[in-house]
Amino acid sequence: MTDAKATLIPPGENSFRLGAYLGRGGYEAARTTILTKKPQDVLEEVKKANLRGRGGAGFPAGSKWAFVPQADDRPKYLCVNADEGEPGTFKDRAIMARDPHLLLEGIILACYAVGIRTAFIYIRGEYEAIARRLEEAIEEARQKGFLGPDIFGSAFALDVLVHRGAGSYICGEETALLESLEGKRGWPRLKPPFPASVGLFRGPTVINNVETIANLPLIFRYGADWFVGRGLPRDGGTRLFGVSGAVKKPGLYELPVGTPLRKIIYDWAGGPAEGQAIKAVVPGGLSAPFLTPDEIDVPMDYESLAHIKSMLGSAGIIVIGDRTPIIDILKIVARFYAHESCGQCTPCRIGTAWISKIADRMGAGGGVPGDIDSIRHLAEGMKGRTLCPMGDAAAFPVLSIVDKFGQELAEMISR
Amino acid sequence: MSGTPAVTLQIDGQGLQVAAGTTVLRAAEQMGIVIPRYCYHPAFEPEGSCRMCLVEIEGLPKLDLACSTVVREGMKVWTSTPKVLQARKDVLEFFLADHPLDCPICDKAGECWLQNYYDQHGRYASRFLEFKEKKGKKVPIGKKLILDRERCILCTRCVRFLRRVTKTGELGVFERGVKAEIGIDGGADIRNNYSGNLVDICPVGAITDGDFRFKTRVWFLKNGRSVCPRCSRGCNIVIQSVRGYPLPGRQRKIYRFLPAENPEVNGFWICDFGRYGYHDIEDNRATAIAVNRGGPAAGRGADWDGILKGLAAELGAMAGAGAMSRVAVVLNSFLTNEELAACRKIFVEALGIQKIFFADPKPGEGDGSLLTADRAPNGRGAAALGYTARVPDLEGLAGSTDLLIIFGPHLMDHSAADAAAAALGGVKKKYLFTAHVSGLDSAVDVVLPTSLPAEKRGSFTNVDGIKQFFECAVAPLRGSLPESEILARLAAGLGVTLG
Repeated sequence: MTDAKATLIPPGENSFRLGAYLGRGGYEAARTTILTKKPQDVLEEVKKANLRGRGGAGFPAGSKWAFVPQADDRPKYLCVNADEGEPGTFKDRAIMARDPHLLLEGIILACYAVGIRTAFIYIRGEYEAIARRLEEAIEEARQKGFLGPDIFGSAFALDVLVHRGAGSYICGEETALLESLEGKRGWPRLKPPFPASVGLFRGPTVINNVETIANLPLIFRYGADWFVGRGLPRDGGTRLFGVSGAVKKPGLYELPVGTPLRKIIYDWAGGPAEGQAIKAVVPGGLSAPFLTPDEIDVPMDYESLAHIKSMLGSAGIIVIGDRTPIIDILKIVARFYAHESCGQCTPCRIGTAWISKIADRMGAGGGVPGDIDSIRHLAEGMKGRTLCPMGDAAAFPVLSIVDKFGQELAEMISR
Repeated sequence: MSGTPAVTLQIDGQGLQVAAGTTVLRAAEQMGIVIPRYCYHPAFEPEGSCRMCLVEIEGLPKLDLACSTVVREGMKVWTSTPKVLQARKDVLEFFLADHPLDCPICDKAGECWLQNYYDQHGRYASRFLEFKEKKGKKVPIGKKLILDRERCILCTRCVRFLRRVTKTGELGVFERGVKAEIGIDGGADIRNNYSGNLVDICPVGAITDGDFRFKTRVWFLKNGRSVCPRCSRGCNIVIQSVRGYPLPGRQRKIYRFLPAENPEVNGFWICDFGRYGYHDIEDNRATAIAVNRGGPAAGRGADWDGILKGLAAELGAMAGAGAMSRVAVVLNSFLTNEELAACRKIFVEALGIQKIFFADPKPGEGDGSLLTADRAPNGRGAAALGYTARVPDLEGLAGSTDLLIIFGPHLMDHSAADAAAAALGGVKKKYLFTAHVSGLDSAVDVVLPTSLPAEKRGSFTNVDGIKQFFECAVAPLRGSLPESEILARLAAGLGVTLG
């Protein structure tokens, strides 16, 4: 199974061009599927592949699609979440820049399975050049009859639109994304109702991450069994692990789901940066609880990380070296969430800012003995109590820092 | 509950049955359990943002919102477990960390939900050591409203009211995180006729009313329920006033009208036109009996008893002489049903007066919502009692009328003042019963001060035919009498039984 074509990030300078994609067997899976399979069979195949969401929560894609009511005459929508804002995460941009047609073919397959005629790619505002590249790719596909009416000569029709966000982390939260796409302030919605029943413009809506959708053509090109075989039985395929921070070879590595974190850091990213030892590792984007060096033998899949009370999340790995004081990390983490809190619900709006103020004060040498308890208390006050998952996203890393590195913080305060 | 299937659940160990679709918060209310809340308001869909109403639902790992969670068969809800109490305490701690705590100069103090809930659910020791956010403290947002962004807890009730009730959308949320604040959305400030409701629904002192700001403290206020008299909608109101302390002596002052909830009439709201009508109770009042031009009343001494006995005697004498065709009475639609019925008994049935007229304010414009074009509260009641609300032809009355009894100040609203005064000059004796001074006063022989609807009991029938009873909401202005009392004394003087 070492087919060079079976990758999310193809090599080559012109890999993004339609010709290059067709050369890799592009759009064949979509053509065959639409002309020979029923939508229900497509859904079953995806369920069989155990494709779990690549955005962070890891929800099985097939089950998510199955929530969309079929006997419903409202227009249905697919929203591809390309608002890649999780610190430490830079995988979706690579897929879209290097292989936009892979994403488009995935969109065709997903929409065919769920009966969707309009798909949006909600891309973060900073990815301006990539948004342009996507639009060019959409135009190329439309010219070839892969998008638009009567795709591949079938009765299936699909339009794909690119929408650029305006630079807010919270718009990567799926319901805030919908609000933003509707032209409103990007505030998360109260759930229920869930987007599958009341989503974009009040229609049933599927929201999937770029990497999730980009895996679909591979599943249909090589089969669900092949896909499961590439990863783990309950968590199929590969992941794009983005490694950043204090390593020798930071970068994006496509490896099977379940690859041990230590192997990724040492065998692929070259190990810790010169003259440093690992102090802490964020395994799945900044919202994932921090790991200590003795926890990095964990296999990188959802369940193994949940077992040690962290998260695979977006698989963005941040390695922190021992030259970095933990207070600097706490300050940066706290400041990020305080800056990105949308302000809608109380615990997150006030809690993130409060923690950030304490961390800044501690960093400036004004720490007092009660500070660590206060931070823990405030983070507990956000955890599980906010309107959207951002309260957890802000609380988890902070709690893991005070729990695992509290000693260093306490020493700093007493100095 | 008829027609809707019932759901059985348990709240705090007690079983109850509620209609399917009911939320946990409402179901708890049916049992008398009040779950604290800020953003939830019964007029709107649940918002779920304040996080104050979190409760424990058995089988769920996290606390859940009482305001938005719909009851399910067999659900077990706990509203005051240690976990729930801690969550409430934490939400209050968050709110108050960034709150200016300027209660001593805040109009909302005493009726503020931060104060109330801190007292009931907070009581923690503050651990906040940081600087508080600085924000605008007296931002004009339109009409008489002042926004204090430091006090605001961002419940967005105001934003939602303006989007969903008035559909004018003047306010929105700007910035994000702890910098998030309410502001004018789109340039135009608040100009709609329902702005005062924003002050009522603001659970804290963030939106205050320029009309009420710094005038008193709410704990001095006495509540009285009444019906707004400014149009025919008959909105239910609470009149808040002070009599005596902290005012000198037995002084009386009216401070504001608030809406009283009535789903059949006004829902939760009242219009600004009605709300600021409270000034009517104090401004331009007729305060004492005034006798003009040494007319017949002057000789009898200017007291209620003397004048009313004299009037009864005059009427009795004219009735005896068969001169009732030379008597005219002008009524108005501010009179209660009971007063209008008494008028009917005395003037129509007992005395046989034919010339019964009505003088009300000229119709204004309705606003398509609560405010009707009819600017008097009881036109429908008058019609139901068989009256025809015809405005008198003043020139026609002159010469053919010897005695004119007028209720209310609106007679001259319908004709040019000079012509009306000249025409009234042709009527021999004129009595005016009025709560307010007006240009009519100088054209009559005696002016007698009456009470306003807020100062009396009775009923009005509103534009939809709903008859609403009300009690005396504030102490009557000293020296004034309600028309019901005036009519009772007249009836006694005439030997008419009102029953």
